[in-house]
Amino acid sequence: MFDENTIRNLFWLLLLLPFLSGSVWLLAGRRINHWVGMAAAVLTLTGLGLSVFLANQIGTEILTLRTEWLIMPGRVVPISFRIDALTLLMLIVVHFIALLVQIYSISYLHDERDRYRYFGFLSLFIGSMLGIVLAGNLIVLYAFWELVGLSSYLLIGFWFRKPQAAAAAKKAFLMNRVGDAGFLLGIFLVLFQAGTTELAALPTEFTSNGWLATLTGFCLFCGCIGKSAQFPLTTWLPDAMEGPTPVSALIHAATMVAAGIFLLARIHFLLTPDALLIITIVGTITMLMAAYSALYQTDIKKVLAYSTVSQLGLMVIGMGTGNGSAALFHLTTHAFFKAGLFLAAGSVIHGVDTQDMRKMGGLRKVMPVTFSGWAVCAAALSGFPLFSGFLSKEAILAGAFGWASQQGGFAYIIPVVAVLSSGLTACYMARQGKLVFFGESRNPDHHAHESSPILTVPILMLAVLSIGFVFAVNPFSAEHGWFYRLFPAVSESEEHLWIAVLSITVVAIGIWLGWRIPVLTKSTSLSRLSEHNWYLDGFYNRVIARPFVRLARFSFAFDQRIIDRLVDFIGIGNVVLAHMISWVDRAIVDGLVNGASWLAHRLGNLTRSVQNGRVQSYIASAVVGLLVILWFLI
Amino acid sequence: MLSLLIFIPLLGSLLVVLLPDSQKNVYKWITLAVCSLELLVCGAIYLAFDPALADYQLLERVDWITLPLGSLGVVSIDYLVGIDGISLPMVLLSGVVMLVGAISSWTIDKRLKAYHALYLLLTATIIGCFIALDFFLFFLFFEFMLLPMYFLIGLWGGPRREYASIKFFLYTLAGSVLILLVMISLYLSVMDPVETAINIGLIGDRSEATDTIIRQVQFLLADYKIQSQQLVHTFDLRYMAHGSNYLPNSFLGPTGERIVFGIPTRMLAFLCVFLGFAIKLPVVPFHTWLPDAHVEAPTPVSVVLAGVLLKIGGYGFLRIGWGLFPDGAAEYALLLAGLGVISIVYGGFNALAQSDLKKMIAYSSVSHMGFVLLGIASLTSEGVNGAVYQMASHGVLSAMLFLLTGVIYDRTHDRRIDNYRGLASAMPSYTALTAIAFFASLGLPGFSGFVGELFTLMGSFQSLWLPGWMTALATLGIILAAAYFLWTLQRMFFGPLWSRTETAGQLTDLDTRERLMLIPLAALALLLGLFPNLLFNLTNSTVAEWIQRFSVE
Repeated sequence: MFDENTIRNLFWLLLLLPFLSGSVWLLAGRRINHWVGMAAAVLTLTGLGLSVFLANQIGTEILTLRTEWLIMPGRVVPISFRIDALTLLMLIVVHFIALLVQIYSISYLHDERDRYRYFGFLSLFIGSMLGIVLAGNLIVLYAFWELVGLSSYLLIGFWFRKPQAAAAAKKAFLMNRVGDAGFLLGIFLVLFQAGTTELAALPTEFTSNGWLATLTGFCLFCGCIGKSAQFPLTTWLPDAMEGPTPVSALIHAATMVAAGIFLLARIHFLLTPDALLIITIVGTITMLMAAYSALYQTDIKKVLAYSTVSQLGLMVIGMGTGNGSAALFHLTTHAFFKAGLFLAAGSVIHGVDTQDMRKMGGLRKVMPVTFSGWAVCAAALSGFPLFSGFLSKEAILAGAFGWASQQGGFAYIIPVVAVLSSGLTACYMARQGKLVFFGESRNPDHHAHESSPILTVPILMLAVLSIGFVFAVNPFSAEHGWFYRLFPAVSESEEHLWIAVLSITVVAIGIWLGWRIPVLTKSTSLSRLSEHNWYLDGFYNRVIARPFVRLARFSFAFDQRIIDRLVDFIGIGNVVLAHMISWVDRAIVDGLVNGASWLAHRLGNLTRSVQNGRVQSYIASAVVGLLVILWFLI
Repeated sequence: MLSLLIFIPLLGSLLVVLLPDSQKNVYKWITLAVCSLELLVCGAIYLAFDPALADYQLLERVDWITLPLGSLGVVSIDYLVGIDGISLPMVLLSGVVMLVGAISSWTIDKRLKAYHALYLLLTATIIGCFIALDFFLFFLFFEFMLLPMYFLIGLWGGPRREYASIKFFLYTLAGSVLILLVMISLYLSVMDPVETAINIGLIGDRSEATDTIIRQVQFLLADYKIQSQQLVHTFDLRYMAHGSNYLPNSFLGPTGERIVFGIPTRMLAFLCVFLGFAIKLPVVPFHTWLPDAHVEAPTPVSVVLAGVLLKIGGYGFLRIGWGLFPDGAAEYALLLAGLGVISIVYGGFNALAQSDLKKMIAYSSVSHMGFVLLGIASLTSEGVNGAVYQMASHGVLSAMLFLLTGVIYDRTHDRRIDNYRGLASAMPSYTALTAIAFFASLGLPGFSGFVGELFTLMGSFQSLWLPGWMTALATLGIILAAAYFLWTLQRMFFGPLWSRTETAGQLTDLDTRERLMLIPLAALALLLGLFPNLLFNLTNSTVAEWIQRFSVE
């Protein structure tokens, strides 16, 4: 056994390693291009080893680490970290997938000139993600939350010369910022009610009145809406596919977007029933809308992006219906199979040089390894029995039905919609399989080839982890598997065999439909609705983005034409006043003075003519004067 | 030691004036040397400062003007300087920004003598403002600052420089007239208990003054036992901050029974002072001089203007507005915070509408200084500490932002955002530093902007004086900040390389001098963001005592 101090030091090493290495990569520049990928992968492997080691050492205990970051009278904000079972699970998942993605990237980006930048940003992302997972204080969590947003921005915009990539990066950051503003207010509300933001010190229930607690829960959920692309902030995630495909696998499928679910798990005890209801409804809307949007996409990555949004919606439903462990279970299984799907898609793109599924077809024969990896992951996503996705999806659905039976009435809409959406999931995956791997090649000019093992081995590893036996021996329930031992369900749910039968049936119908959706039919209004993601983008552009810019222009016009005019007017008014006063000064005041002097002048002239310098006339005038005075006196 | 901060640049300025024109290549070296020396002295002051003390430290006092005026009492104006936890961060900030400005002045190439002499004069007056503890002395520096600033904008500025400099000068002057009025009224209402004690024969020397003596004098004053001829009136800000030094029944007495125009005189005086400093900060709607001044000013002057000059507004709020009239600040808390929120949101919207990079940054300054006002108006420890922090943070970041604008302007003489695309391809280091400055300014954790915004917002949310929706509205500011900065980044730096005005080879990456200015600033923003206690340690005790005056009984 190691003492706690060693564990502490290891833990700091774990967190700082990616940040420090990332800074080194970024500062070093292109000269490290040829080995940076390997070095980064080795460091991530070290991190993975450390995480497994910590997991062994800590087990089910909870370890907290605190350093005081900031002290002021009446307020101490510590940097505190918390390691518990949830953290350890996330640590291992994040490290593992990051490792595979980094290895994959070495080959995938071998022609890229700025590989140092790519791996630097990736390390930055890993570090920030670890920060979220480890945070033991909401403010610390928020800080890393934003940093994850930054690394996502940098990686989406990695190919910054492409205008779409730059636009997508900005959009992702901005939409996340909207969610984060709500999240920040939620943190303030927590602080206001509980007097602390330490997760360990938070009370299980606020003493304040219901609506304020519900508002708090909703505000915190806003963070999840942004990061996990829930309705109405969904549209950034499909656009984020402009980034390199391995990035999509790691950030926009497996880890970062799951941070919203992680957040909900962390704050679950704070959520009131009303807040949970809102969360469930948002999750349901997201799941259905995104699943439908995935149906008619033609870009291989976009299908997966919408699918991710939809699956996140399912996890949110799990959280909302009080079935947190099932949601976390799905988070884990989803991380593996969706990362696998993205990497497979990357391999396909690498092989055929296009992302348009209409130009693919028949790749099953050319790329057998990629196909087999894809097939296993797709089966898991669609919810085939014996695959991991089936287990976790069933767990959430069972929980949702259980929740609905407690609520009664309209609450059944939620699980029913969820089942329906899972049918859609199977449908679009079947369509993707048919378009990409079956039939004949629709692009005869290009000769596709199987990718190198550096690309395919990570896919296969993820595929293996998407098989149900990894999680539970029982093919129909994971309740006795290792996952539920770590994260026991709050309420024991009964075996609902009929739910499994129902969902398998729906999935089967979905696959049949998906296989039959004509590949290149003329578009109908329904397909256009799907293709354009319910016209949300256009709607936001018209209703939010453009009015905002217009308001900005208006505000600037107001600033110039009203406020500044007023200032100028006062200034000019003063000058005019000054001129007027100066006229008064010249014409009247000065005029009086001038008049007086003129008078004096005239008088002087008058008297000067008298004083002409002749002595005789002086005497004469003196005599006359004397006489006059005498006359007056007498 | 503090006086060195004022007299070193003054002497430097004199030296520049006295040196013959044939030596004009030496001027910039003098400026650089003086500003470096200044920063060293700042460092020494930082080391000598005891952060545990709430009160003023490193005091230096010289009797300056003492004039008996018969029944009007005795005029006493002192040369009095000192610092506390609120002014020290500002002094340190000035040291850094003035040095960076000096390096940035390297490219100035006309009328060198006048420029450098004025620049050093500006340095002296700005720092003088932050360390003066005598209201008269403060006002002297405050007014004298306008002179070099007026010429620096008016002579070395852009095409509309005359308009901008006159606007700046008159606007600020109008504000300072209001401050002058209040200063005189305060002066007539406040006595110096120590000097008065000497005058009425209680003690023989300043050194004999004890708390007991002072209290005795204050009791005598309250009981009308001191004849008006013997009263020593003072401009000392330390005495002005204590209610018991006010003459009973005086114009601005703390009991506040005097009423003019239906408003108690103290409230009126508070509003006057607020307005005076609100123009400086600036607070919407008194901000329109700022974009004009920035757009016309040469780069180093913009750096100084945004980096430190605006902070005098916030500092004036803390030291004089809120410090001397806590009753007014509490009375109008809602209004003041409302103006802060309006500045944040309005500044943000205006920044979004700009097509001139420099104007965009100028409006972003308005938005960021709104956080300062919001934090101060919250009257909470988080808010006020956060406001001081935000001032320091904005000082560093806005200096950086204006330097970055200067970089592109130096190369092409064009600052229009729409005239560039894809600069990242041609100028990678410049892009990297711009991105850092933008993200730091929009409040990315890890950089200083985040801490300032977090704590001012937290303070306003926890405040007993302010409703919660105000903070909610203010968070719109952080969304807007992300919008205007990232939009600019996207438009100017990303996409394929294109420039409307470029002639080949103009768009070169940063040179060594530019790196020398930008990288330390970026590092400083990072350092402050990671270890905010570096700054909060300085401000904590002073703010804790400062906030006492607003504690609810």
